[in-house]
Amino acid sequence: MSAQSVDVLVIGGGATGAAAVYDLARRGLRAILVEQHDLATGTSGRYHGLLHSGGRYVVRDPETARECIDENTILRRIVPFSIEDTGGLFVATPADPADFPAKWVQACADAGIPVEAITPAQARAQEPALTSQITAVYRIPDGACDGFDMIHGFIEAARAFGGDVLIYHRVTGLIREGDAVVGAHLEDTRTGEKRTIYATCVLNAAGPWCGVVAGLAGLDVKIKFDRGAMIAMNTRWVNTVVNRLRPASDGDILVPVGTVCVLGTTSVITEQPDDYRIEAWEVSKILNDADAVVPGIRLGRALRAWAGVRPLYEPPEAGNGDAIGRDVKRTFSVIDHQQRDGVRGLVTVVGGKLTTCRLMAEKAVDVVCQQLSHTRPCTTAAEVLPGVKTNPHRLDHRLHHLEHGETPGELICECEMVTRPQLEKAIAAYGDQPVALDDLRRDLRLGMGPCQAGFCAYRAAGILQQAKKQSSADTTRALHDFVNERYRGVRPLLWGHQLRQLYLDEMIYRRTLGLDQLAAPEEPSHD
Amino acid sequence: MTDTGKTPSSGQYAFPRTQGTDVIVIGAGLAGLLAAAKAVRAGAKVRLIAQGWGQQIVTPGWISVCDRADDDVIAEVRGFAALHPDHPYALAGDDAVVRGLASFCRLAEEIGEPYEQRTKDGHNLRLITMLGAIQTPLAAPQGIAHGDLTGFSESLLLVGFNGWRDFYPEMAAGNLQQQGINARAIRVDLPAGARGWDLYPAELALLLDQVDARNMIIHQIKPHLSGVDKIGFPAVLGMDQHLEALSHLSEQLGRPCFEIPTLPPSLSGTRLSQKLRGWLLRRRARVQIGHPVLRGIMQERRCVGVEVGALGHNNIFHADHVILATGGLYNGGIQSDETGRLWEPVFNLPVMAPPGEGRSGWYEDRLLHEQGHPIHRLVGLRVDSCMRPLDASGAPMLENVYAVGHLLAGFNPLTDGCAEGIALATAYKAIATALGLKKI
Ligand SMILES: Cc1cc2nc3c(=O)[nH]c(=O)nc-3n(C[C@H](O)[C@H](O)[C@H](O)COP(=O)(O)OP(=O)(O)OC[C@H]3O[C@@H](n4cnc5c(N)ncnc54)[C@H](O)[C@@H]3O)c2cc1C
Ligand SMILES: Cc1cc2nc3c(=O)[nH]c(=O)nc-3n(C[C@H](O)[C@H](O)[C@H](O)COP(=O)(O)OP(=O)(O)OC[C@H]3O[C@@H](n4cnc5c(N)ncnc54)[C@H](O)[C@@H]3O)c2cc1C
Repeated sequence: MSAQSVDVLVIGGGATGAAAVYDLARRGLRAILVEQHDLATGTSGRYHGLLHSGGRYVVRDPETARECIDENTILRRIVPFSIEDTGGLFVATPADPADFPAKWVQACADAGIPVEAITPAQARAQEPALTSQITAVYRIPDGACDGFDMIHGFIEAARAFGGDVLIYHRVTGLIREGDAVVGAHLEDTRTGEKRTIYATCVLNAAGPWCGVVAGLAGLDVKIKFDRGAMIAMNTRWVNTVVNRLRPASDGDILVPVGTVCVLGTTSVITEQPDDYRIEAWEVSKILNDADAVVPGIRLGRALRAWAGVRPLYEPPEAGNGDAIGRDVKRTFSVIDHQQRDGVRGLVTVVGGKLTTCRLMAEKAVDVVCQQLSHTRPCTTAAEVLPGVKTNPHRLDHRLHHLEHGETPGELICECEMVTRPQLEKAIAAYGDQPVALDDLRRDLRLGMGPCQAGFCAYRAAGILQQAKKQSSADTTRALHDFVNERYRGVRPLLWGHQLRQLYLDEMIYRRTLGLDQLAAPEEPSHD
Repeated sequence: MTDTGKTPSSGQYAFPRTQGTDVIVIGAGLAGLLAAAKAVRAGAKVRLIAQGWGQQIVTPGWISVCDRADDDVIAEVRGFAALHPDHPYALAGDDAVVRGLASFCRLAEEIGEPYEQRTKDGHNLRLITMLGAIQTPLAAPQGIAHGDLTGFSESLLLVGFNGWRDFYPEMAAGNLQQQGINARAIRVDLPAGARGWDLYPAELALLLDQVDARNMIIHQIKPHLSGVDKIGFPAVLGMDQHLEALSHLSEQLGRPCFEIPTLPPSLSGTRLSQKLRGWLLRRRARVQIGHPVLRGIMQERRCVGVEVGALGHNNIFHADHVILATGGLYNGGIQSDETGRLWEPVFNLPVMAPPGEGRSGWYEDRLLHEQGHPIHRLVGLRVDSCMRPLDASGAPMLENVYAVGHLLAGFNPLTDGCAEGIALATAYKAIATALGLKKI
């Protein structure tokens, strides 16, 4: 068991934690971020991909809307490599309340969100796939955001300022000395190895798990869990974010992200922070709602589905204790446990949006600094991040590279244009740490295209085995885990095209490879 | 047979009389191809129409009849069929299994794509996969069948290519060793002229049609031969000169060389398809690949013709018999939608579905679930022992339409190890019944 000591320990490798460790490092504090799985495997890897303009919240929750438009502007400036300026449309159809657009336009004006009224003809010239049944339509500065790239951008920048990151380490206990939290016990979730990190202050950015983490210090943070499902269609369908202009409901939004178009979402209250179920009615609802705005999309090829859990936290002073789902405000809270519970050394940040992660980090780190009597102010809004050096996710870059590179190396994942040198480099970056194929997926988008790893899984496993000099048995198990993980996200979408695709994939695994014989049939366990 | 070229205006289709029997086969998988060839041999006028090639161009290429049989495969099939009267094997009858397979093997031999079995005892082969698992089909293309490990206790050498993405011999060798099979892996450089980054199996196979390219490989392998008894390669050993390539390597290396099926597309399936097409065309069958059959044209309980989609206008072709070999869920013979509806698009025949609401009963929660996914076994058409589709009450729906191959319910083509056997047996039975052949 080893111990180390830092100024601040950040728990959670989502957008908020990543922005926080960057902020802390910039302010000259010795900070380390710990994450139980890989970066962006919590809510931040299971969201919709929308850089909010605030339009979605502006009528019911103007405070969040204002935060969104401010942060939207800032993120476009500081993490441009992770954002595509698609612009957004809010589209009303005859099925939507006729009095809503006027209310919404007024609320946008009050919140400082620039909207531009256009004609249905203009909208359809911009997005020909839109329905002809448009009663009102506005342009708004929405965007698409690759959360994986953004988080890696924050992390790389944090490292440049001396920040540290430890993935696959779970906080299993918080160390209390009297009225203070002074550190945490951690466990390596892959090897079971334990270690301790002492910290003057702990920042709890554990998203839906932040109630669990606070509980480790004997403190009570009540979280409501609100599950939402999303579906990626295999082409973009639209090049602009399309929102339904109505009070926020299911299936309102289409976001073009990279090569796909993400549809969603639903809102289901659940008991668990990691309830990632997707029920059949959710799939139907999302497709049918999207079809009302983009007719025909329902019959398109659905590539993959996933679900995320929104941690909803209503501070007691808000006096709105019974609100559920979309009625809970989407603004965030920073809980100073010294002030609230008389326990020093712990700050919790919860709620908000991916779009507002930098602001959430700023406010939380302000409180941390107060506790540490550290006076350097936040400067994260000022400087442009250098970008993701290792593996940008953009397909067009990759195509360019393949077509113009001198020796691009073999194409391993044809859907996402991942090459052998890219894989080898990504594997090497883990040093002597174990690497799962799913880690490489998040690093490179391996297996995230239409065939969902049918062809690349075997190839990537072979390359992994060579690079790590591991046994065939371990490699086969890794292959098995990976194809099963990919299966989980197509399971809700098995009809038509994707059903046929899965048949082909299953045929490869069972007949061509005989993977089912070799890999012990066990559920990949995460705990 | 007559191509009327346009749709007659009245509700009735007046097909000019022609001589002979018109057999229309829909689907160009193993079942459709065998049915077409059988019908040609029986003297019928055959038209094979398919939207695309069937599964043989993506499967490993071998013929699974009853993979799990430990000894006599046909005896096992017979025993199994006796216990499962609704299984396609029971419906087709074990005679059809034997004759279908024999007739396929004869045909394959004739076109120069020989398939081999362990003829002496009728047992399954033991073949290795790219991952180092053992599969046990009954027959396989010659190059693949040469890898049979039955009674083999010596040493294997598995050969991969540096810079070729589709085969990782170390992975296979390691897994084989775990199963007590002595296997070693080496890699050699690709023959000159191989383009690097997206080298498909077919391109490599075309290169290896050339003696020079093969010599470059042979030269690199020779120093590694001590203690080696058999040499495995990915299944890219030649395209047009495949058999020459195989014997050239075996001779030069002084040991039997064999092939291991690669990721799709499957070269053996591609060669088989092309050569069968040629065989059919030379015998004046019409072969239309790339065209969808839109619907059957019915007169009461008979199908008198089919309408085929084509650029410009659709065509209508007369039929005395129709063999529906459209291949189940994978190849489009059965369609599905988000609500859980399942349908057969050409004749709108009733499709069996798994129990449960919507799509809820279709798939298990793990991809490689030991039992396989219910959808594969439960979805499909029911037929009688003549291969005629049945309605809900169990009565034949149409007099002259026969459904064969993957389209049928009652087996899981991915887990039961009998997919090709069923394709061949049911195709054989359908043609034999339709044309009144005696041998059944
Ligand atoms: C369905 C849905 C759609 C959404 N769409 C959008 C959108 O389009 N735009 C937008 O801006 N926002 C969207 N959001 C909101 C956004 O995803 C979240 O606000 C944001 O991702 C939260 O990030 P986070 O870092 O706070 O939490 P998370 O990303 O959940 O990070 C918390 C991390 O803490 C880790 N952790 C937990 N416990 C421990 C422990 N004990 N030890 C170590 N690590 C631990 C977890 O593994 C996790 O990675 C959406 C949310 C949902 C659910
Ligand atoms: C904006 C956006 C665009 C996307 N575009 C695509 C696309 O084009 N193609 C595509 O295929 N997918 C796409 N996705 C979805 C992506 O592939 C994943 O499906 C998504 O990130 C959810 O993860 P998952 O499906 O791997 O979930 P899961 O398989 O449920 O888990 C993912 C990982 O999270 C870890 N994990 C974290 N917490 C837990 C826990 N408590 N229990 C178990 N495991 C846990 C596991 O280690 C696992 O490897 C997109 C996602 C987003 C956010």
